[in-house]
Amino acid sequence: MIEIDRLTKRYGATLVVEDVSFNVEEGTLTVVVGTSGAGKSTLLRMINRLVEPSAGRVLIDGEDTRTIPEDELRHRIGYVIQGYGLFPHRNVADNIATVPRLLRWDRKRIAQRVEELLDLFQLDPAEFAHKFPHELSGGQQQRVGVARALAARPALLLMDEPFGALDAVIRSKAQDDLIAIQRRLGATIVLVTHDMNEAFHLGDRIAVMDQARLLQYATPAELLMRPADDFVERLVGTVERPFRLLSLTPVREALEAGHAEGEPIAASESLHDALSRLLWTGRKALPVADSSGAIIGRVSVDKILQHGRPLP
Amino acid sequence: MVPPRPALSFDHLGFVIAVLIGIALFAAPFATYRATRIASGEARLVIEALPFSMAAALALVALGVALGAVLARDPLGRLGSAVIGLAVLLPSLGLSAGYLTPADNNFARVSPSLGFWLLSLSFSLLAVDALARMRLGPFGRLAALAVGASALALLLLSGIWDDLSILKEYDTRADSFWREARQHLLLAFGSLAAACLFGIPLGVASHRLRTLRTAVMQSLSIVQTVPSIALFGLLMAPLGAVAASVPLAAALGIRGIGAAPAFFALFLYALLPIVANTVAGLNQVPAAVVDAARGMGMSARQRLLGVEMPLALPVILAGIRIVLVQNLGLATVAALIGGGGFGAFVFQGIGQTAIDLVLLGALPTVALSFGASVVLDALVDLSKGTTPA
Repeated sequence: MIEIDRLTKRYGATLVVEDVSFNVEEGTLTVVVGTSGAGKSTLLRMINRLVEPSAGRVLIDGEDTRTIPEDELRHRIGYVIQGYGLFPHRNVADNIATVPRLLRWDRKRIAQRVEELLDLFQLDPAEFAHKFPHELSGGQQQRVGVARALAARPALLLMDEPFGALDAVIRSKAQDDLIAIQRRLGATIVLVTHDMNEAFHLGDRIAVMDQARLLQYATPAELLMRPADDFVERLVGTVERPFRLLSLTPVREALEAGHAEGEPIAASESLHDALSRLLWTGRKALPVADSSGAIIGRVSVDKILQHGRPLP
Repeated sequence: MVPPRPALSFDHLGFVIAVLIGIALFAAPFATYRATRIASGEARLVIEALPFSMAAALALVALGVALGAVLARDPLGRLGSAVIGLAVLLPSLGLSAGYLTPADNNFARVSPSLGFWLLSLSFSLLAVDALARMRLGPFGRLAALAVGASALALLLLSGIWDDLSILKEYDTRADSFWREARQHLLLAFGSLAAACLFGIPLGVASHRLRTLRTAVMQSLSIVQTVPSIALFGLLMAPLGAVAASVPLAAALGIRGIGAAPAFFALFLYALLPIVANTVAGLNQVPAAVVDAARGMGMSARQRLLGVEMPLALPVILAGIRIVLVQNLGLATVAALIGGGGFGAFVFQGIGQTAIDLVLLGALPTVALSFGASVVLDALVDLSKGTTPA
């Protein structure tokens, strides 16, 4: 568990981060979201001490980060930034091997780990290991950046606008890949973004920051239904709210008994997707299938619409 | 649609080269004959300087090269015709010296004149232009340099030029020539090495500390504006004082005149390009790369040696290239204060109005500068290696 405890950063008279506290559970993905200049990057950089806090502390599994030598701390925390900062003079394999080399892993173990990560990120080792960063597409560079950050199995992964340099199509694929990898590795991730859609898409919990302060730290659904103040409500987007809520709810939640015609939809998909399918096909209901493909009931437009508003 | 390019077409640079060749053949003296080494010279046209058959052959080849320079497109063909031109021109200069010198006369001197220089300039220009159009890689350029240098060495060793005045000057001074050559290289490369040892760390420190950078850059810029002779003069007094008060310094050869002030002045001139390029090289390392390196827990030393310096290297090497070419030239002036080097021949020659002696000092300097700049250009390209341009 990562405990952020009353973190404050002051540059002269300017408060950049003011008294921010929240806990990140192991194996979850927390998104810090806010407008630019809200202090979210500074908050992130205080976790691996690229920025020294003016006050407050960070505990990783109960251990105060100030008691760990800076470089050693950073070997244990993965770090991905916008633009990735890949080393242009080193090939993909050498880039990924950066932290294992700093930790003096033996050659064979490093080679194994690099191959494993390239496979995990769907980059064929034979093709990509010896390429240089400028020979890669934006999406491939992004994957190498994340692979490099994960190389030494860090306890925590910090990501600062990791999808900011990607175009829309590649970005949503990269986001889905990140979720898949996070689930698979059980990694703990803190990710900074200014994009609310990204926050809702990725976050198990979302921390909303504005003007150096933490306004609300909650699950996406709570944020939609019980915004802490007007700013959060506006940031969440009043018009988009019902659709975001539907995106967060699986079909399973609106399951009802009965029969329906048409192609079945998986119980794990979102109500947003189910509604979209219903609108497009002009039907009133769809059959619902479980993971084995067996029909377990149906989902109807009326039932879906009930989920698109806050609970009474 | 792009029209097919004809094999022959009109080439503008080629036209200039052809005009130069025309002037050299018909309007300018090919060689100068002097009864003694300091007597005033008598000009000899190509037709007078060589036996008729040789003169005719040279003229025909030169006209052929001129025609090729104007009309040929294929760089390989242009290079070939330039090489043939040089292959005929260079030995014929030696033959001319033998032809013009009366038998058993040790006082007469024959030296190349405007016509020869124009012809060799034209052919070399054509060759260099052809090589540039071939877009050779760094190894290709090094190979071309090696071929050129070997050809020159072969000409010198073959003895075909032995009757030329400049080689007669060399003959009487062979010992001192190689001594001054060593001194010249020692001054140029030694001060460069010292400037790198001192300047690269200073550049790194200046990159880190803004206040230091301003102070260092401004003082080095001021040094750069001091004329070389004035700087040699300025250094005489303090180094003389050091020698007088510190016996060890005097034992090491540090004196107010001689090699020490020359070395020190070259070192000072070399600092600005080295420090400035180190700072510029480090500045152009992308901020995200340095941030990522820090974020992954690389120590300051690991970042500098493993990331920043390798990425700054091409720019630093470009600075070293500037310094080396500059030093090889400036080292000539060192002779004025007794520092030795090829400049010794230049200033002796000026004193005796013996132009051949001046050339004996000047030509090796030019050749060294040219060679050094080709080699370092290739190194800069190689150091860029895998990083995008």
